[in-house]
Amino acid sequence: MKSWHRYAIAVAGGLAVGLGAAWALTGNGFGDGGIHNGPWSTSLGYGTKATDALTRARVARGGLLALPAKETVYWSAKTDASGAPLDGDCRYSLSGTALDARWWSVTIYDAAGYLVANPANRWSVNGANVALDAKGEWRVTVAPDKPADGAWLPGTKGQPFHLTLRMYNPGQDFRADPAKAALPRIVKKGC
Amino acid sequence: MRRWLGPVLAGLIVAAATTAAVIHFLPYSLMNVAIERLGQGGINRMSYGNLATPARQPVVRPSPDLAYSSCPYDLSAGPLAIDVTPVPGRYSSLSVFDAATDVIFVRNDVEAGGKPYRIIVAREGQAVPAGAEVIRTGHDKGIALIRLLLKDPAEIGALDAARRQSSCRVVTNPK
Repeated sequence: MKSWHRYAIAVAGGLAVGLGAAWALTGNGFGDGGIHNGPWSTSLGYGTKATDALTRARVARGGLLALPAKETVYWSAKTDASGAPLDGDCRYSLSGTALDARWWSVTIYDAAGYLVANPANRWSVNGANVALDAKGEWRVTVAPDKPADGAWLPGTKGQPFHLTLRMYNPGQDFRADPAKAALPRIVKKGC
Repeated sequence: MRRWLGPVLAGLIVAAATTAAVIHFLPYSLMNVAIERLGQGGINRMSYGNLATPARQPVVRPSPDLAYSSCPYDLSAGPLAIDVTPVPGRYSSLSVFDAATDVIFVRNDVEAGGKPYRIIVAREGQAVPAGAEVIRTGHDKGIALIRLLLKDPAEIGALDAARRQSSCRVVTNPK
């Protein structure tokens, strides 16, 4: 083998490895932004000039046009409370108390971050459309089929799903310690 | 084996440089794609987008609870004027993103005191109207986005006229 052959092979391999590494490094989207709270994770650095190049590229891929944290905190969950990946064929209880924000919503996406068609044409629940019980808690069933009673957020049949929790104008207590804030629970009930 | 030392080192350098270059340039190219997709109604004008559905998702992770109005802009023809009229009693915000996807301006309805306002987006050195509130940027291209919260998608019928009071255009005569 000639010397330039070896260089050609190595450079081609380096290009492929470099592209693959960049793709893998930027593929985490909104997840794993450094701040963890149960199955939820976020970063408070989205959309600001201070953000490093890698975070900027991740957000551009996973949440282009995202707002900075003072305006909106975006949490992402890919697993339930036990750490198992969210499965669109399973039934989950999503519940919590009113969140410390001017407005909030939980939206269901596929693993790539896109809405999936469902018969109810519903992809989110928000602070304005959940009912609070006597204890001040709301509860929604995430499942492929409509539950007998209670609010329903249709699951993504046949594929995993991710949840994004948006908190618009989060309160000062929340911003002081987002990792300790009370966020919605995601508990698997069956498959 | 020693004959591979140089090539392997070259390969590692190429790999590292490729990774860094992709990470650096990815936001710019994704922003270009977003400008392309949101700019169907024209550049430097506000498009009042339909609500996000599985069939209509111009960007990743769209919120089905928000009515998005977008103004993909290009400052090469002059500064951009954005006029925003908040809708009373509900969350709305204007955010301006540059070509690198960085947020260069955000104001919500509460910060605006619920009142209409005008923002000028301009390159360094571009002449702007006297007394205007100006955001300076180092990039020509970007997207200005207005989010309006809907408690229910059905509200869009009643709120569409209100959100259409917000607009954007090139400032043709800044003096």
